Amino acid sequence: MRELTVLCADADETERAVTRDALAADGDVDVVEASSVDEATDALAGERVDCVVTAYDLPDGTGLDVAAQVRETSPDTPCILFTDVSPDRIDTDQREDVVVEYLPRDMPGARESLARMVGNTVTERTQVGYPLPTAEDERLAALEQYDRPGLEAADAFDRLTTLARNRFGVDVAFVGLIDAHEERFLACAGSEWETLSREDSMCTHTILEDELLVVEDTHADDRFADNDRLDELDIRAYAGVPLETPRGATVGAFCLTHDEPRTFSEDELADLTLFAAEAMDQLELRRRLNDSESEGTETAGTDGEDA
Amino acid sequence: MSIQEPTYTFENLPIAGVDAGTNLLVTGPALGGIRELTLRMLLRRHSREGALFVAADVDGRQTLTDYQALGGDVDFARVGVVDCTEEGADDDSCNVHAVGSPADLTGAGIEFSSLYERIHANGASRVRTGIYTLSPFVVYAPAKSVFRFVHTLTGRIRVADGLGVCAIDPGTVDDQTLSSIAQAFDGKIELRESDGRRKIRVRGLPDQPDDWQPVEFEH
Repeated sequence: MRELTVLCADADETERAVTRDALAADGDVDVVEASSVDEATDALAGERVDCVVTAYDLPDGTGLDVAAQVRETSPDTPCILFTDVSPDRIDTDQREDVVVEYLPRDMPGARESLARMVGNTVTERTQVGYPLPTAEDERLAALEQYDRPGLEAADAFDRLTTLARNRFGVDVAFVGLIDAHEERFLACAGSEWETLSREDSMCTHTILEDELLVVEDTHADDRFADNDRLDELDIRAYAGVPLETPRGATVGAFCLTHDEPRTFSEDELADLTLFAAEAMDQLELRRRLNDSESEGTETAGTDGEDA
Repeated sequence: MSIQEPTYTFENLPIAGVDAGTNLLVTGPALGGIRELTLRMLLRRHSREGALFVAADVDGRQTLTDYQALGGDVDFARVGVVDCTEEGADDDSCNVHAVGSPADLTGAGIEFSSLYERIHANGASRVRTGIYTLSPFVVYAPAKSVFRFVHTLTGRIRVADGLGVCAIDPGTVDDQTLSSIAQAFDGKIELRESDGRRKIRVRGLPDQPDDWQPVEFEH
């Protein structure tokens, strides 16, 4: 298992040191320490954190304020409230949506439980705010084979999305890859989006579909109606087709968005499927090119997913 | 193929036993027996099993009364309720912990984790968790938070070798949301009523009857 970075926020130096030592005991955990909400916020801005362990009472706020900060900056990151403050003393006002794990610190073996929980929440992705594909680990392994440096600069995707935008008369047409925590846009005709967190991305739902996802009006769909980020991006209508590798892993999507509700005809969706197939072929060719360049005379390998 | 005995079994229901760590979504109309089905799936088969309810449609005390009426053994060291209804009130005498509103997913998650730990610590090596129902959470809280909440609960149940039984009335959420939520579960139990008879069907789990099976309810 790769090394995890855990942010540990606790104003009590002694308690924090014991927690740090317990987490670092198995050697695979790097602990970043903070003694206040402010320090935790700075730490979150400074580096990628895999998990947050926080006390409840902090000098300038509470552990739930830390969790709220996490949901702003890296929403998938699991947060564990590790405290001897009992649940009825925890004030969730204004923090009703952050959702955290809670582990009482005063139970026997609490720190051993904490170390286990940190591992579990990270590997099981237990605090993500969106549905997960059934074979997410395999999907991410497959994605790695396609997600190579230089992809963003590939003119082919710019051409394809420009053609699509003209064909469908929509605001934006884009190709996006969905990695563990965000969608990254390889090309985006009509806007300049670069990344979007997975919980805000509609494509995160598209990759669960066999064929495609069409949302004629985001405000009329419970999955997206309260997603403010979509409004900020002027997304009111959406059509997306998953990009599926020859071995059946879904790595991204080819999509259209519009700033007003709209329908998509069967002909349009058939053409959108062709655009997606073309984009996937481009990705596949690039992967093979990359493989043969890096492996020399070796034959091109698999796309990373077990058949 | 597993030669191990399934961990959680269900008496008088046409559902084969399931392995530890299984999360099930139970769907059906609110008035069609889904409550009784959920409560019966929570019946403890031995004293070292615990039962934990997350009550959102019906308050904690009523949940325990109904559970008892169906034969539920109410040992408050190993049975408890997280009451998420608006009317909910703490009641130490029957291990009920009020959250105050189904919109408070953070509070519900914290009470759930805390109660789960305590039931475990009181000697229940296996815990059955019943969520009745998920609908108020979906109605009152943002979709992203509901997914996070469901993943948190099912994740804990999975790693703690528990059993999760989560009821939802499909009439209260749109089809897309329901199918997105269903993804977090290992299998689904569908309940329907036709010609005055109630039937259930199990989907997505191995070694289960694959057709609609009649089921008798008391109410």
